[in-house]
Amino acid sequence: MRNKLSGFAVPYVIWMALFVVIPILIMVVYAFTTAEFEGTLENFSEMGIYASVFFRSFRLAFIATLVCLLIGYPVSYWMAREGPAFQRVAMALIMLPMWMNFLLRTYSWMSILENNGLLNQFFGRFGLHFQMIGTPGAVVLGMVYNYLPFMILPIYSVIVKLDHSLLEAARDLGANSAGVFRKVILPLSLPGVLSGVTMVFVPSVSTFAISRLLGGGTQMMLGDLIEQQFLGGAYNPHLGAAISMVMMIVVVVCMVVMNHFGEGEEQAVML
Amino acid sequence: MKKQTCFGSRFFIGLVFLFLYAPILLLIIFSFNAGDSSAVWKGFSLHWYRELFQNRIIMESVYITLLVSLLATLIATVAGTFAAIGLYSLGRRKREALMTVNSIPMMNADIVTGVSLCLFFVAFFQFWGVFAHWVNGVQSLFELPERLTLGLGTLLLAHVAFNIPYVILNVAPKLRQMDKNLIDAAQDLGCTWMQAFFKVMLPEIKSGIVSGALIAFTMSIDDFVISYFTAGSSSSTLAMTIYGMTKRRITPEVNAVSTLLFVSVLVLLVISNLRELQQERRPVRRKKRLHIAVPPGAKRLAAAGAACAFVITIGVLSSAATSQPVVNVCSWGEYIDTDLITQFEEETGIRVNYQTAESNETLYSLLKSGGADYDVIVPSDYMIAQLIEEGMLEKLDYSQIPNYSLIDQRFKNLSCDPGSEYTVPYAWGTLGIIYNTALVEEEITSWSSLYDDKYAGNVLLINNSRDALGEALMYLGCSVNTTDEGEIRAAYDLLADANRRGVFQGKVMDEVFQKMEGGNAAIATYYAGDYISMLDNNEDLAFVIPEEGSNWFVDAMCVLKDAPHQEAAHQWINFIASTQANLANMDYIGYASPNREALEQYPAYYEELYGEELDQELYEIMAAPPEVLDRCEAYLNLSPATRSLYNELWTKLGI
Repeated sequence: MRNKLSGFAVPYVIWMALFVVIPILIMVVYAFTTAEFEGTLENFSEMGIYASVFFRSFRLAFIATLVCLLIGYPVSYWMAREGPAFQRVAMALIMLPMWMNFLLRTYSWMSILENNGLLNQFFGRFGLHFQMIGTPGAVVLGMVYNYLPFMILPIYSVIVKLDHSLLEAARDLGANSAGVFRKVILPLSLPGVLSGVTMVFVPSVSTFAISRLLGGGTQMMLGDLIEQQFLGGAYNPHLGAAISMVMMIVVVVCMVVMNHFGEGEEQAVML
Repeated sequence: MKKQTCFGSRFFIGLVFLFLYAPILLLIIFSFNAGDSSAVWKGFSLHWYRELFQNRIIMESVYITLLVSLLATLIATVAGTFAAIGLYSLGRRKREALMTVNSIPMMNADIVTGVSLCLFFVAFFQFWGVFAHWVNGVQSLFELPERLTLGLGTLLLAHVAFNIPYVILNVAPKLRQMDKNLIDAAQDLGCTWMQAFFKVMLPEIKSGIVSGALIAFTMSIDDFVISYFTAGSSSSTLAMTIYGMTKRRITPEVNAVSTLLFVSVLVLLVISNLRELQQERRPVRRKKRLHIAVPPGAKRLAAAGAACAFVITIGVLSSAATSQPVVNVCSWGEYIDTDLITQFEEETGIRVNYQTAESNETLYSLLKSGGADYDVIVPSDYMIAQLIEEGMLEKLDYSQIPNYSLIDQRFKNLSCDPGSEYTVPYAWGTLGIIYNTALVEEEITSWSSLYDDKYAGNVLLINNSRDALGEALMYLGCSVNTTDEGEIRAAYDLLADANRRGVFQGKVMDEVFQKMEGGNAAIATYYAGDYISMLDNNEDLAFVIPEEGSNWFVDAMCVLKDAPHQEAAHQWINFIASTQANLANMDYIGYASPNREALEQYPAYYEELYGEELDQELYEIMAAPPEVLDRCEAYLNLSPATRSLYNELWTKLGI
């Protein structure tokens, strides 16, 4: 039976080769060639110029991930302690925004944060004015806003499934609430945290729409840089491919290092 | 876990929800705005909901979004389930290796997946072109299409490609949980292979398939980045349409469509929750279903969304246009009186697929990356010269464009198209400084104010290399067409220095409308015609052509090489070149018409339309008189070396 079924894997292996492996190989080829498709390393040697963009992307994505974690973990934890009705409604409320396009939600933040936007109109009554749009803070806010659900969902789904008898056992053995949390809940929810971190960090580091809308084009991120080389104002797909490749490698390395701390818990809890 | 509720934790959760929902609430509120701003409330109105159903671009993108998401989910669910079964029956080592490859699209940043797929499709198209040409050459039984472009097909493939991993990830654990002997037992008991699959295996893994499908659907609906790189020009999803709009002005129609989608999902959710609640009150509680890590609300939410999407798809499908002749047009944002499109369609029966690009440079990228399937484009003079040089334009058949004779002599035989072989002018105008007199006290007369610390954080730099560097060159007293590397670098240094000092609030193209109208920035540079449109929404704005001079440009309609709909393209160009269309356009977009009659008749047309006389000053801003044009210089096509210098410096400026 098993051997008969393994035939099903063949079409998918071909599919993956076509739509996953070959596209990435083509990207690699682009990264190592010039516009005339002659081999070159120029695309990489020039990349030092963009070090600041790499640095900014990773810094902002890191901050956004941290903020998401600091907000997302307590929310997931407290939500898991509520009654089933509360949990159900809260879960739905967290998922619901995903059905409103993220660009539109980000755009809405624009009208809040603008120099003449709602917040500044409000502060204006007290004679205050804050420059918010076009700052790194606005970009981080956009990331946190858009990706916070991706942090809450996996953490919540891990915590809510924790075996209650474990917690009771810990208490019976004399642990106080803080001890139970630190020694039992926290380690057991780590897989959820790891997949939450991944699901926030990767889209944050590579975003181009959020930085474009809320950063006003002054907070250029890796995504913007790549987009600019392909569909933007400075056509050079070879450089774009090289940057994509480097970003991909750095992200993979980050993930491997992080999952290493998770001690083989790489069965990512998706959504 | 002990169920204890404390006020503090609920308060915190409440705050997070406030954070999540405040912008959404704002969007919904502004869908009822009588005006078209998303920051200034002008009274309650349902106007935008009525407009929505007339707005074909939005309706079509809703349709494409739903169609692609549903089809991709369906295909990915079936394929993913069988793939999971196949993988499950492989040996452990092989399986783990394949699962690693499987997780690549999920782990990779969307932009990397999108870019690599885009490159793959384009490479395949090139290969296919050669292959089809060869096949068509050696036999004459059938003819293969030689020219493929990105479109609905590639969009669907891309969505299937990133959906399958999610399905597999959800089905695989169910397969692992299943008793391995079950199927053997079923077969021993006389089941055929098919029966064993449908009666034993499928029920075991059903919940995994369902949650996989729902996640895939949600991912498809929410996706923007991958679609952006693989959809090409002819089919755009709702997210892409919105992205296009965020670059200029989001019309509240988008707020309206989002509100409708949001509210329908919400209503379905509430209904299903109420039903669930009733069922729970009954004595026999339903057995808790096994989910793999899918939170309880998520499934219902996705199901509600899918149901709602299905209904809308059927609705739109039934009203969708069938195989009609088409012409694909790409122009700039806010650059046509949309009534003209309807009028043209009614007159000729040709459907107009109207797309927009942001700037000449992005249009060029779009054409080069193989994503564009346009017939007619409307680039500016210098870009036309570049496209002609690269052999990307088709010569026009002027016998099919009788209205070409109405074009003013000034706009024939342009320097970019000396023999008038490729172009029919669309509009012309000047570049200048737009400033808010409420925020700027002095009268601005020079480009220098763009780089002045006095206006730090209040200046908007124009987001295309040619204009931005051109302005700096003019300020430095150089020609905008200089090929001197030192001069260009000096212009760049000026911009980079101002950027470092924080003078620029941002780099904008059509975002400038919303920024300047809302008083969010004091100074910007943009085109005269758009200033006229902005003035309608903010009377404090002023326009000036600086004393150092400026750029004047002509945008002209061209047909792309090997465009599939040549005849329709010519019909469209002829229609747009007519005096009537030029008058309507001139009034709507505020750019001057190259049509001699229209330019002369416009003041009278305006008076008839609005019952008041056209302000002569405004008319001269629109259609700059010769003495102003004398101070302006047109952009010429630059050499490839200078162009790549522009690109390099422009990229560097952003970092």
